[in-house]
Amino acid sequence: MNAVVIDHVTKTFGRHVAVNELCLTVPAGTIYGFIGPNGSGKTTTLRMIMRILYPDRGTLEVLGETRLGAANDRVGYLPEERGLYKQMKVRDILQFYAELKGFRDHDRAITDWLERLGLSDWSNKKVETLSKGMAQKVQFIATVVARPDLVLLDEPFSGLDPVNAVVLREAILALRRSGTTVIFSTHDMDVAQKMCDFVFMIYKGRKVLDGTLEQIQAAYGSDTVRVHVEGRNGTLENLPDVVTVTDFGRWQELRLARDADPQRILAELMQRGRVHHFELTRPTLHDIFMRIAQPQTEEMADA
Amino acid sequence: MRKILVIARREYLAAVKTRAFVIGLLIMPLMMSASAVLQVVLDKVRDTSEKRFGVVDRTGNPVVRQALEQAVALHNTHGLNDPQTGKQIRSPLALEWITPSNPDPQAIKQQRFDLSERVRHGSLFGFLDIGPDVLRTPHPAPGESPPESASLRYQSNRPTFLDFAQLAERTLTRTAQEQRAGTGENVAALRALLEPVPLLSKGLLTRNASTGEIEDATEQSRIAPVLVPGLLSLLMVMNVLMGATPLMQGVVEEKMQRIAEVLLGSVPPFGLMLGKLVGTVGVSLTMGGFYLAGFFWAAHRYGFGEYLSTPLILWFILFQALAALMYGALFIAVGAACTDMKETQSLMWPVMLLACLPLFVLGHVVQEPHGPVARTLSYFPFSTPMLLIARNAVPPGLPGWEMLLGMGLVLATTIACVWMAGRIFRVGILMQGQGARLSELVRWVVRG
Repeated sequence: MNAVVIDHVTKTFGRHVAVNELCLTVPAGTIYGFIGPNGSGKTTTLRMIMRILYPDRGTLEVLGETRLGAANDRVGYLPEERGLYKQMKVRDILQFYAELKGFRDHDRAITDWLERLGLSDWSNKKVETLSKGMAQKVQFIATVVARPDLVLLDEPFSGLDPVNAVVLREAILALRRSGTTVIFSTHDMDVAQKMCDFVFMIYKGRKVLDGTLEQIQAAYGSDTVRVHVEGRNGTLENLPDVVTVTDFGRWQELRLARDADPQRILAELMQRGRVHHFELTRPTLHDIFMRIAQPQTEEMADA
Repeated sequence: MRKILVIARREYLAAVKTRAFVIGLLIMPLMMSASAVLQVVLDKVRDTSEKRFGVVDRTGNPVVRQALEQAVALHNTHGLNDPQTGKQIRSPLALEWITPSNPDPQAIKQQRFDLSERVRHGSLFGFLDIGPDVLRTPHPAPGESPPESASLRYQSNRPTFLDFAQLAERTLTRTAQEQRAGTGENVAALRALLEPVPLLSKGLLTRNASTGEIEDATEQSRIAPVLVPGLLSLLMVMNVLMGATPLMQGVVEEKMQRIAEVLLGSVPPFGLMLGKLVGTVGVSLTMGGFYLAGFFWAAHRYGFGEYLSTPLILWFILFQALAALMYGALFIAVGAACTDMKETQSLMWPVMLLACLPLFVLGHVVQEPHGPVARTLSYFPFSTPMLLIARNAVPPGLPGWEMLLGMGLVLATTIACVWMAGRIFRVGILMQGQGARLSELVRWVVRG
């Protein structure tokens, strides 16, 4: 059973192609991470799933429904930032959003969620009095209070402090455990890597990655070496078969050229200094993201 | 439908539960009460100091001075106090008789300038120049006014104080009439001749349904037939603007705060807009109901209840609801086309102007409710609700077909406005960055 099936969908705004011939299948009960640079088409894709925007070409099936908006009451949507009436009280706005989804028996659910996210004392306060983190949590409750089968979260962790980020992460994982399908977009590769069953990357409107983390990493091979070398400055300069060196302070990551021999690099390093750590590893999601999106940044810098 | 009602309820409560709404609701009665209280207070602190006037009598007839001095003396002894409270409310008057200059126009001009200078310096409050022919019988040609030599000329730099000017006009008119008539018998006959014919303004006679007797009409108020239509139109414009302005602000807030995205995830754009409009109609009708109840009470309390009949109230409610829908749709379109409150200002004023248009012609329409201007303008759909109600409120009212025709017209325009606003709303509500140009709005309406 799939929660979302996107088949050759294209969406343009004027001359700009926001999403180009996109095909994507989101299995039910999974957490699916959408990643991509700003303006790559993540939000447009989410809005099309939500049926706020209509595709120019292609078809979308949401929770088994192909008719526009037919599944909307079973889908919760948290837009990037905000989305709340500032003058309304927390409980009133949650009731309003629950009723809009046709969920009438909402009092108990609202109380439970407020308690779970530590907002019980703010139930009768106006939204404008809440901190950004609290407002984000209220927004999250508004998204899930009607017990949707599919939840779309656009940048759910942006602006949250580490404590609230953990609270939200646990809430999302609990939703998955209860059978809800969760799709969220994020710029935090670490979160995507740790939480998502599947990761989808869109770049300039086209799908460039789609699969489990293992599948994605396997496609890139073990082309990364993590080292900690004691020596003078410049120890890692001009190493043979090394494409890039990223310095993280306590250790460095070397990206190897295709068909490079790690043993040869180790030997070279041992000649240059004392090697405390040498680990052949797969690229992280962050590395993969950067490899795909970096040319765009460089092109922009050249322009 | 259920979702439309959920949105309508939120819109209604969001508007009605604000301080601005309560203040807006109470501001009119408060201002009217404050104005009445202020009037009473100001009456108590009137300037009752003596006012000195120069008088130039060019008639050369002593009766003029005698009459004017007698009138002023009477004013100063019996006309200063409020007959009910006994408190002084008027200024005593003092006269300074100025020897007239020679009749040469230049000399007259010089003398009037000298007196004007005295008024400017404060030694006189004003002056009265009595023309030499004031007491003679005037023979103006048909259509012409009497010459200036047969007139009173009152000059002051404070023209709103009219006690002396009116007293002089009254007294010298009487003196001139007596002089023109000649003898005492003629004066009495003349008085009788000049006695005005009283006018009794009444409504129409009715037949008592139970007794079958014809009942005489009651005395007709002169103010109520003008006041009631004017107030009803004004009330409708006020209700429309007070309901539609927060609606537009709400749309802009929903765009800015990305609330629209969440709402559109639950309800289609047209449903969202309809919910908002229904809520606004509720807000307008709440305000209208509050004021109508007040008017109704006041009308019956002060004896002009017949001018605020039940059918008129029902028509008012109907047209008020349609006007709120029609203008609400326009304000929603404005909100959807803009990305912040500042941008709304430039797009909003044409709509505000449209809503206020009936007020500019209201006086004329009430004066001539069946005239060509009233008829024509009351079928311009954006003015129809206000002007048809005004015309219908002037006795004997309008025939039913005219009201139905107007309602059909407004209904058709409302549907067109809602349809057009729906197309603008659908595209504009998700638009961020910069507001839409007029050409874009037209494109959205045409192409959707």
